[in-house]
Amino acid sequence: MHGKPRYSAFVPAWLRGFVVTWLCGFVTAGAVAQPPAVPPERVALTGARIIPVVGAPIASGTVLVERGKIAAVGPEVEIPYDARVFDVSGKFVMPGMIDVHTARGLDIPNESRPVTPHLDVADALDPSQLFFEDCLRLGITAVHVIPANNTVIGGLGRVVRPIGLTVGEMTIAEGEFLKIAITPRRGFDRMLQMATLRETFLELDDYLARVAEKRYEDKLKEEDKQIDVGPDEARKRGRDLVRAEDVDDQHRNLLRLCGGQVRVAGGPGPKLFQPLGAFVYCGNAMDIALAVRLAKDHAFFDRTVLVLGGECHKAVAELKQAARPVVLPGDLTYRATDPLTGEVHETFVPKKIFDAGLLFALVPGPDDSYAERMLNYQAAQCVRYGVPRDEALRAITLNPAKMLGLDGRLGSIEPGKDAHLVVFSGDPLDFSSVVEQVFIDGIPAYDRAKDVRLQRLLSPGTSDSTAKPE
Amino acid sequence: MRNRPRGHKATEPRGDVYYAGFCALVFAGGLFAHAADITDQSSSPPGLAFRAAKLVAMDDANTVINDAVVLVKGNRIEAVGRAGDVVIPDGYRVLHFAEHWLLPGIVEAHNHSAAGGWGDLNDMVYQTNPGLDIRPVPRPDNPWVKRARTGGVTTVLLLPGSGTNLAGFGTIVSTGGKTPDEITMRTPGSLKIAQAGNPEWYFGGNGRSFMNWNLRQTIEKARAYCQRWEEYDQATKRQSGGATENVAAGHQAGRESEPPPAQPEFDPIWDGFRGVFTGAVPATVHTQVYQVLLMTVEMIADQFGLWTVTEHSSFDAWKVGPVVREFQQRGAPHAPLWIIQGPRQYHFDRTSRRMIGNANGWWKNGIHELAINTDAPVVPQEELTYQSAMACWYGWLPYPALRAITNITAKSIGLYDRVGSVEVGKQADLSVWTGDPIDPRSACLMTVVNGEIVYDGTQGTRRF
Repeated sequence: MHGKPRYSAFVPAWLRGFVVTWLCGFVTAGAVAQPPAVPPERVALTGARIIPVVGAPIASGTVLVERGKIAAVGPEVEIPYDARVFDVSGKFVMPGMIDVHTARGLDIPNESRPVTPHLDVADALDPSQLFFEDCLRLGITAVHVIPANNTVIGGLGRVVRPIGLTVGEMTIAEGEFLKIAITPRRGFDRMLQMATLRETFLELDDYLARVAEKRYEDKLKEEDKQIDVGPDEARKRGRDLVRAEDVDDQHRNLLRLCGGQVRVAGGPGPKLFQPLGAFVYCGNAMDIALAVRLAKDHAFFDRTVLVLGGECHKAVAELKQAARPVVLPGDLTYRATDPLTGEVHETFVPKKIFDAGLLFALVPGPDDSYAERMLNYQAAQCVRYGVPRDEALRAITLNPAKMLGLDGRLGSIEPGKDAHLVVFSGDPLDFSSVVEQVFIDGIPAYDRAKDVRLQRLLSPGTSDSTAKPE
Repeated sequence: MRNRPRGHKATEPRGDVYYAGFCALVFAGGLFAHAADITDQSSSPPGLAFRAAKLVAMDDANTVINDAVVLVKGNRIEAVGRAGDVVIPDGYRVLHFAEHWLLPGIVEAHNHSAAGGWGDLNDMVYQTNPGLDIRPVPRPDNPWVKRARTGGVTTVLLLPGSGTNLAGFGTIVSTGGKTPDEITMRTPGSLKIAQAGNPEWYFGGNGRSFMNWNLRQTIEKARAYCQRWEEYDQATKRQSGGATENVAAGHQAGRESEPPPAQPEFDPIWDGFRGVFTGAVPATVHTQVYQVLLMTVEMIADQFGLWTVTEHSSFDAWKVGPVVREFQQRGAPHAPLWIIQGPRQYHFDRTSRRMIGNANGWWKNGIHELAINTDAPVVPQEELTYQSAMACWYGWLPYPALRAITNITAKSIGLYDRVGSVEVGKQADLSVWTGDPIDPRSACLMTVVNGEIVYDGTQGTRRF
């Protein structure tokens, strides 16, 4: 139901978030950009230095947006007469950045229950959190909100844009990934963590076997026959009879994780659901092997994204062999202290991962440092420590889009993609550059000149009482 | 206006004491009135006649009558009109309030104090507790209820607490009456749901993703049960309704009639929900803050199509106003969605960095049918009018704030045909005030429940 459109009666889908922001103008005035009353169907950003991420940069060009999608990019683009034109001469335009792994926007990062594959962040996602406003300010236009790492199996994540009154309006894509943690949750050790995972998957097998058996018994009952075979045979005969509605909430997503196809008594049954992937958290190097084995054993290896802790760079050989996409730790430098000498050894993790040829994404830093929460700053650090510029830029745009299976819509400035655009005052990897404007699905979602909260923060010597309200 | 030939005009002086607004006069006169009352009561007057400086009827015509007379016979309102137009029948006990306001009894849709205190409200058995009902809990005439009367409150919806996501059914009771049967107005009064903001503490801490999933599961089970019975009832009705024709036709055609439908299993856990799914009983939902209220609208009102009353609706919940308005306008007559705000009428909005009046926030976002509640005894029941006053202090409007504790509240819980306004034929629940009830300087002078004076502060006996 979260995907259900609202306002559909009188507003086209791509304008919905825009309209609700406008309706709510009474409350949000001054928060971020106050959009105009009539949203433009066509938007053109002209004179821009375009970083398309895919393809060569354009020194001066135009991005044309039609109904929320990028219609044309290039040095010479004809601008329709009715387009709303934003002259961004001399400024940089890059695709919206993607935060590929965060639990922010939820009421709590993790449920206290250890195994919750049946839950969905959509039930806890709060569109009113200031986090989303900050995303706009920092040029992040897509956020993969997913339960945090303090779990065994967490619920479904969801990719949202940081605008909209309801979860439905925010949603870019419904959940395609569960969270699994190999590193023990609080109060667990690895034995208990792994035992819980093992039991969960065994219980799924047992559950499906029981469902198959019951389906066979029901069939006999309908045909007015007595049970004629033992349970093992009944399960085999019943496995093709299992329907989607026979699988309850608690097992549906687990079954989807395992590919969506019923397997009972060693044999295949019907494929009932679309498969799910997993973001698998590995806080330590030793967890990589466990994660790979778990994913292969339960047939979700091809849909696995590994979420790494700093120490995981030590398992680079295994990571290279696995060749799965990885989400890097927010703290890009790993520091190991020699317990005897106290000597500190530093490793810049992204360089090592890049050298291994892995697809990787950067996430904001672990604390609320104003610098490290900027994905472009994280990318700039990578360049400083030897990662090529293009690769660093991909790590905050196209790579996370690929991991999420959304590279057909997000992650670069190419015709046909969703118009998620960020206008920087200068080179995004220059720390003195700031986000000036953000467009999401063509909607002018942020304008630094109208960011009253930022102005309050930055204006010297102005106390709250004297600051002029919007 | 009945019995005109036998009566006399209200403008004619009578032996009763005329209450002046000045304290001294009120007090001095009261001594005599008291003596007169006793003799009146011994002869048991056939009715009561209220004459007030101003009647604010709180009806849908927004009737206000200066120098009004309201006649009460038995437990009903017999007549309402201007003093010159309504004839007071002989023998009626006339109560003069020459400088005072007369209103309907105040209605509260979120009360716990009719239980007599904090006990008997939360069974922390499971995260959701279908099958529980607060019906046996109300304590007539308990000290909290007596206090409620001193604030003009005549009807309250007694609710289980918000310790779990679904705490059971509430009951609507009046604040007058001596026995549980006397005070019960409707049971079940509502289904109590707590969307979030308290049930978290069950099982050492839950998040909203679990609580909302779990609540949805519970309501789905209830719905499945009710659907089975609904289908059975309809099949039974079909068969019995056309029985004679079918038999005749069956005989003629030589066919056997349809076999009787199998009766579903009765389950006391779920049976109380049947009224909820037929639209006879509302779901009153403890809900607050933006995301939680959003879930209430999406899950309870939209997905399940229940008659939904959001209680509290506080903090920044009013920002959901456009979504609520859109839902209301979409037109789901089976699922009316009512917003009740309170207690606490303000919220510091981090976005605009200023204090916002919650009721005013709802109002400006298009919610003009808004009620107010106290969650008594979180805020004492007699201070419901103060909640409205506070809403006005933070920017709201006085008349809507009065409707919010009478007319709208009664409508939200489906009781407007009985209470919530002063209209002929309605239950005689009245309150008399020294002035506008929304003015914090005003006090309640008298409260009438079911035609009976349950609080009388006119004799120098005002409690507050």
